[in-house]
Amino acid sequence: MNPRAAVLVLLAAAALGCAARGRPFEEVKPVPPRHSVIYVYRPYSFFGSAIAPTVRCGGQSAAIRPGAYHAFVVPADKPISCYVETETADAVDFDGGPEIQYLRERIGLGLIVGRPQLNPIDADQAQSEIQSCCVEQP
Amino acid sequence: MRFPLSAIASAIAALAVALCAGCAATAQSSGGARPLSAHPLPFKGRLAMGDPDQLPPAVAMSLAPNSRVGFMYREELSHEEHHPPTILSAVNPLIYLGYPMGEYTVTAFASLSIIDGDQVVGEYTAQSRITRSYTIYSQPTHRELDTEARAAVRKEIDEKLYADQGRVVATIAGTE
Repeated sequence: MNPRAAVLVLLAAAALGCAARGRPFEEVKPVPPRHSVIYVYRPYSFFGSAIAPTVRCGGQSAAIRPGAYHAFVVPADKPISCYVETETADAVDFDGGPEIQYLRERIGLGLIVGRPQLNPIDADQAQSEIQSCCVEQP
Repeated sequence: MRFPLSAIASAIAALAVALCAGCAATAQSSGGARPLSAHPLPFKGRLAMGDPDQLPPAVAMSLAPNSRVGFMYREELSHEEHHPPTILSAVNPLIYLGYPMGEYTVTAFASLSIIDGDQVVGEYTAQSRITRSYTIYSQPTHRELDTEARAAVRKEIDEKLYADQGRVVATIAGTE
C-alpha cells in the first residue's frame, strides 16, 4: 500500500474511532411524573474529539463523546445545575419545572486541553441537531 | 538629539489632558444614577404565578400569602453564541495575545402583572441583553451571564414598580 494512503486510512480510522456509535436519538417517553429531561448533546467535531469531559446534572453524570447525547432525567420540583470542567468550567442553572431542556456541548480551544462549553439551545434548533447524535454507550 | 522646549511643554500638556480625560471618563462611568436600594412596596400581595426564589427584590419583600392582590411574575432567557471555527482560532496569533475567541449573549425578558381580583392593576415588562466575549485567558460561565441578565431585568421591574406604586395603591384602594 502507498505509504500516503496508509497514513490517510489510519487518520480516518482514528477520527472515526473517536466518534460515538450507538442507537439513533430516542426521545425519553414517557417522562416520569414530577420529572423533567435535560438533553445534553455533542455534535461531532474532529477538534476536541479525543476528550470526553464528564457532564454533571444534579446528582448524575455522563462523559459524552463527540456525536453522542445523554438524557438526564431529573426531578422537576427543584433547581438543577449542569456543570462541566477541564482547564475551565461552564455551568448552567435550571429553575426546575416540567420543561424539556437542551444543552449543546462544544469543545473550544484551550491552552493545554480543549475547553468544554454548555450552550443552552432553543428546542426547535436542538431537536433538529440532536437527530444526528446517537445514544451514549457506557 | 535636542527637542525644543516648546515641543516638550506641548507633549507634557497633551499627556496631562489625556490623563485628566481618562480620570473624567472613569468617574463618569462609575458615578451614574444612584442605585435604588430595594425596599418593600406600600401594599402586599400573594404570589399568583412565579418562583418565590426568582423574584424582583421589591416583590419578594412584599409577599403576603392571604392578600387579595396577586403578583404574576415570569422570566424568560434566550441564548446566542458566536464562535469562529476552532481551527482558525488555533492558527491566529492574536488569540494567544488575548483577542476574543467568540462571544455569548443572553437576553432576559421579564413581565410582572399585579391583579386585584379579576382586574389587572399594573403591568410591567423589562428586557436586558448581556454580551460577553471570551478569550483564551478568561471565559465566563453561562451561569454568570444568566445571573447578570436576570438581575438587570429584576432591577428594571423594581424601578418601574416604585415609579408607579402610588397609582397602584390608589387603584387598589378604589376597588375596595
